[in-house]
Amino acid sequence: MRWVDLKASILDFWSEFRRQKGGLLGIFLLVLLIFTALAAPYITSPDIPQKWHSYWEGNPTTVPPTWYNYFTSQKLAPHEVWGVNDVKFEAKGQNLGSGMKYYAFTFTYDNRYDIPPKDIILRNINVNLTNLESPAHIVLKVVRPDGKKVQLLDMDFTSGEVFQLAKMGSVRQAVFMWASQFEDPKVVASNRETIISTMDVMKVLFAKAQRGILVNPQALKGKYKFEVQIFTFNPGDKVDFSNMQIIFTGRTYGLMGTDYMGRDLWAGLVWGTRVSLVIGVSVAVLSVLIGIAFGVTSAYLGGWKDEFMQRVNEFVASIPTLPILILLAAAFKGHVTLITIVFLLVMFGWTGIAKVARSMALQIKEETYVEAARALGAGTSRIIFKHIMPQIMPYAFASMALSVPGAVLTEASLSFLGLGDPTKVTWGQILYDAQTNSATLNGYWWWVIPPGVAISLVALTFVLIGIAMDRVLNPRLRRL
Amino acid sequence: MGYGRYIVFRILNAILVLMLVTLLVSVLFTKVAEQDIKSSINEEIGLYLRGNPQLAQALSKDPQKYHQWYEREYNRRLKMYGLDKPFWVRVLERTKDTLTLNFGQTRNPIFGETNIAKIIMAAVPRTILLFTTAQIIVIFLGILLGVKAAQIAGSAFDRAISIVAMVTSSIPMWWFGMLAILIFSFKLGWFPGSGMTSIPPKTGFAYYTDVLYHMVLPVGTIVFVLFGGWAWTTRNIMIGTMQEDFIMAARAKGVPERKVIYGHALRASAPPIITMTIFALLGSIGGAIITESVFNWPGMGRLYWTALQQNDVRLVMGITFVTTLLYLFAMILADLLYGYLDPRVKVGASQKT
Repeated sequence: MRWVDLKASILDFWSEFRRQKGGLLGIFLLVLLIFTALAAPYITSPDIPQKWHSYWEGNPTTVPPTWYNYFTSQKLAPHEVWGVNDVKFEAKGQNLGSGMKYYAFTFTYDNRYDIPPKDIILRNINVNLTNLESPAHIVLKVVRPDGKKVQLLDMDFTSGEVFQLAKMGSVRQAVFMWASQFEDPKVVASNRETIISTMDVMKVLFAKAQRGILVNPQALKGKYKFEVQIFTFNPGDKVDFSNMQIIFTGRTYGLMGTDYMGRDLWAGLVWGTRVSLVIGVSVAVLSVLIGIAFGVTSAYLGGWKDEFMQRVNEFVASIPTLPILILLAAAFKGHVTLITIVFLLVMFGWTGIAKVARSMALQIKEETYVEAARALGAGTSRIIFKHIMPQIMPYAFASMALSVPGAVLTEASLSFLGLGDPTKVTWGQILYDAQTNSATLNGYWWWVIPPGVAISLVALTFVLIGIAMDRVLNPRLRRL
Repeated sequence: MGYGRYIVFRILNAILVLMLVTLLVSVLFTKVAEQDIKSSINEEIGLYLRGNPQLAQALSKDPQKYHQWYEREYNRRLKMYGLDKPFWVRVLERTKDTLTLNFGQTRNPIFGETNIAKIIMAAVPRTILLFTTAQIIVIFLGILLGVKAAQIAGSAFDRAISIVAMVTSSIPMWWFGMLAILIFSFKLGWFPGSGMTSIPPKTGFAYYTDVLYHMVLPVGTIVFVLFGGWAWTTRNIMIGTMQEDFIMAARAKGVPERKVIYGHALRASAPPIITMTIFALLGSIGGAIITESVFNWPGMGRLYWTALQQNDVRLVMGITFVTTLLYLFAMILADLLYGYLDPRVKVGASQKT
């Protein structure tokens, strides 16, 4: 086939294909998916696969996405991370005499939500102590919108301390002591211990100072001013605030929420596109190529060789794929790589295509031009590659597209059973985690719905393209 | 003659597949068992030493002697467990065990049982109950809708069926099950999303209605994901048949349209519809099995899930073998049916006549 012929046939194909609405939608989705897969490091961050399998420090666990607020009557606080530029310094190393130094900064959190943050985390304040015997001292107070002042922290600390306010016993105690003056004394007296241990510290801290603050806190909206004071006691001590982080652990997080390890599901979703596309496309291309080579060879050879190859085909086709895949994957548990999965899926994926390719080749073999070529002395490989293959190629492209969904779904199923490549981020694994953590029975919809939609979308993309190609390339089906 | 040969071929093929699977299961099984036994031999020797402080003391003085003693003891136990035999002999023994469904014991009891064969025997009927019920509904619905769509090809209804088929064939069935639990069990609370019976199980007639009630969501999931594909296949085959000459002849003769469709066209389309769909059915067994585990239905699917969670390779092997057995059985059944329905089926020598 000459280059101009190829160009003409491609243009011809395209002018037919563009009339297929479903096919165009498929192409659009495919472009979108490929873009997502390629741009994954830029959309999210490049280190996601490395850190995916560890706990994500500082993130809230199993919280819905931020946009969930548009659908709820109670507004939930989003996740916010502040740095040194978001606070106002009032004193930076002011000398108080006899080596004592004083640092002070404030930050103001505007609580516009019915449910305040889960926690406030203050971390990465580096103190460089010359004498560990006299550590630094921190005092943290909050001035509420109603003018009431609560002292949360008053303690010594050294470098590397992480202040997770809601998780600290002293803060819990302080908040309880402060709030109990507004609560019904009878309630406080009767359930003191249960209230202390079960109350949501942040909800109480951000609540209206009224009866019920402990048992049924109502959010008090407005600006909360946090005042932090730090003292050091040796002349050589230094405090470095440049990496400081203040995290308001959200009741919601990002575009897709988080899972039980605090992982950003949006990042997982974006990165999962890569594995899904790579597996789907490579399995489809390889199994179609093998299938066609097998089928055409079988048809061309004919006789007992054909018979034998057909029996081999039937044999492989009647192996129940999924149970055997599960068995093999379980046997290599923990060592399964993407290539193993591709190999296993190709091993079982070529049979159907081989069958169709054989019957097509049998027809073409009887055509007069093949006979003519043979009469001219053309060899086996020339007839196969020059005369039979080009006729089968259109079918091959359509069946490549149509075998992607099966591969994608099987890979997802294996991952869902916990048998995928453990070093990759896959949608099936996200759903596996969701299933082992009973996400459905707890109603964590943001953890269950998006990965499944993504899997279906990849499959649907190739179904649409495949059916459209089939209609264009096999005109017999066009009337259907 | 053709039919008989065809069936013999198919049965031989099934036996060959079963042999391969058995061999694969046995090889993996032998490997795993070897690792298990070797690590337990080390533990046993350690325990024995701790039980005999005098011997331990005597041996600890002389490392050379300890080494000899250890080697002797290790080999003795290896022989006791039959590990001294060559690998392939053990594989063959294992094959015999597999064929006689002697898979051994699980570490933790499942369904109150530790014998793997008994556990699987308890699970199989439950899976068949769920899957068969769903399939009957799918076949009925699929053929009905497919015939209807073929009758009014090109209409909005026909296009809707095609779209539903395309979309549902792209959905992982087990994920749709998770979605169904989320909506109908968690959000709306209409149906239970887990298990086969209430806990504790009801007695008498209430038991059966309770099981039916628990079946609604899993069966609904399987039906929803599969019926579109059936309808679409039926439609495509029916449209092909409706363009045949004998349909035109029947119409020209004045046969009522209803009779043309159900009497002539559907009957002629039956063999391809049945085979295509039975093979689709066999293909969907895997998905249905995983779906089962999502619904915590105590069948083969949940066994798979439990086995993989507990890393119980013996159980995985047992389930694989039994699933393969069932699969091949269903396949031969499909072949028998197809060969019976379609007299054109001929293979081998009779193909040429």
